[in-house]
This record gives sequence, C-alpha cells and structure tokens, in this order.
Amino acid sequence: MPYLPTSQAYLEQSRAVITSVPRHSKHSSTSHLNTRIVTKYNFPTNRRGNLKQAYKSQVRKDAAKPTDAPSNTPAPPSAATATLTLKTFNPTTGICLHYRTNKAQEVGRLITSLGKLAAGADVAGLGLSAAVPAAGADVEMTDAPAPAPAPAEEAAPVAGKAQGQGQSAKGKKKGGKGKR
Amino acid sequence: MAPHLGQDEFFKSLGELLSKTSQQVQGSVYLTQKPLIDVPGATTTNSQPSILIRATDGNTNTPNLKKEGKDKVAKKSQKIKLSTIVQPDEIEAFYVRYAEVCKAGMTGLKKRDRRGRKAKTKGGAAKVTKA
Repeated sequence: MPYLPTSQAYLEQSRAVITSVPRHSKHSSTSHLNTRIVTKYNFPTNRRGNLKQAYKSQVRKDAAKPTDAPSNTPAPPSAATATLTLKTFNPTTGICLHYRTNKAQEVGRLITSLGKLAAGADVAGLGLSAAVPAAGADVEMTDAPAPAPAPAEEAAPVAGKAQGQGQSAKGKKKGGKGKR
Repeated sequence: MAPHLGQDEFFKSLGELLSKTSQQVQGSVYLTQKPLIDVPGATTTNSQPSILIRATDGNTNTPNLKKEGKDKVAKKSQKIKLSTIVQPDEIEAFYVRYAEVCKAGMTGLKKRDRRGRKAKTKGGAAKVTKA
C-alpha cells in the first residue's frame, strides 16, 4: 500500500485501477466497479504516545532556544494541522493506493478529480497529462482547450512565413534581374 | 442503518460535521465513495452506476473493553453516519458542491502562505537591484 509522492500520480494510478479489468476474474464485468475511494480528514490524535512525542520535541525546541522557558504542557492543540489522506482500494485485486497532504489549496482539485474518477471509466482526461486519445474520448475537457491556442500558434508562423517569403521572393527577383 | 439523505441535507450535515471537527482540532472525518451495483433504488444508465457517498466521524458504537470502567461515567457520543446516493447524471453538479463544502469545512489544513513568499522574493529582488 504505497503512499504516492504526488496527487497527479495518485489520480492516474487510481484511474488505472478503476478502469482496468482483471483477466482471471469470475466477475470481470463488475469487479473493477468495486473500487472505493476513502478520503480521511483528521487531526493528530491525543493518544499518549503522540502526546509524549509532541512533548519531547517541544522540550528539545525549548532547549535549543537561548531563553529557556520550560513548559510542562505539550504543544498547544491549536498548532496541530490536519491531514487529508486519500485511499483507493480494490478488494478484488487487493490494490491499495494512498496519497497524503496537508495543503488546503489541494482540496478543491482533489475532490473534483475524485468526481471525475467516480463519473466512470470513460473519462479520458482528468485535466492531467497525456490523456489517451481513445475511441471513447468524447469528453468536453479534451475538446475545449485545444481550439483556443491552436489558431494563434498557426496564425503567427503563417504570417511570419508569408512575410519571409515575400521578402525573399523580392530579393531573388532583384538579384535575378541584376544578374541577368 | 439510517436512510440515505437528500443532497441538500447531506451537504448541510457534512458541513456541520467538518466544521465541528475543525473547531475541536481533534477527530476525523471519513468520506467514502463507491459505485452502487445491483441495488434497488439505484438507476444505471449506459453502464454507469450510481455513486454511494458516505461520511462518518471515526467513532464506533461498540464498547471499548479496556475503557469500560471510565465509559460508564462519561457517556460516549454516538457515531455520526451520513450517506447519499448520486445518480449518474448528477455526478458533476454534485461534486462541484461537494468540493465547495469540503474546502469550506477543512479549515485545519495548511493555508497557502502567499504573502510571506511574495514579500521575501520582492525584498530579495529589491536588494539585488539596489546593490
């Protein structure tokens, strides 16, 4: 059960798990549909071990400081940051993928991506890299961004070429005239 | 098990659950999503199943044998369980709201520290140009 380094890797792998159908499964038509995704939002617990660790690290920090203010209480709970853990699990294959983050800015993107994963196997583009242009890639996402940059890119080189050709043609003509 | 909620009700309860957890700075919220297959009440259109969404806090209703003595005094809080079914054609709209509710509720996460970084880079750049 690996923790994947980036959210993109996690989403791509999850999509692979959800869309792939295992070969030697009796319920091959539905087995991939068993995949479930659990999103856990949690704060560090108040277990004794955790508190001890927090206290020890606090003591170490205090010791490192020149002005030693001994605090008998462990780190204040307000300092705790929550964690968001995503888990994809397929009971048929036993595949389990994790991704963990504590950044608030990732929440919106992750949840929307989960929606795209939930929407089904035929979602080719998660807004991610290298969406496979399959036969069923009739998703709006792939179509929408493509036309916008394309004309601009095409227009610029064409214009440049046209100018270049015009100049070079003139030059050739002149040169030709002069020579002859 | 409690019956499935409507989406409005689900979002309202989920928002409360998330904000409560964030305020207490303690506890967990589990959000599960899985396809519903061959279950009455779920419609399936062109091989796309409905999605079941569940939200719980991590509490359990079963008694903890180790702590039984203490628990007799302080009554344990009941487990919170929310669930809703999303039809295949509602998934997109649902997840837009879902993401908003989660963003609003998960305030315990680290916020992006834009201002500090900008100030640093600006200051560094200004110094460089002056010198």
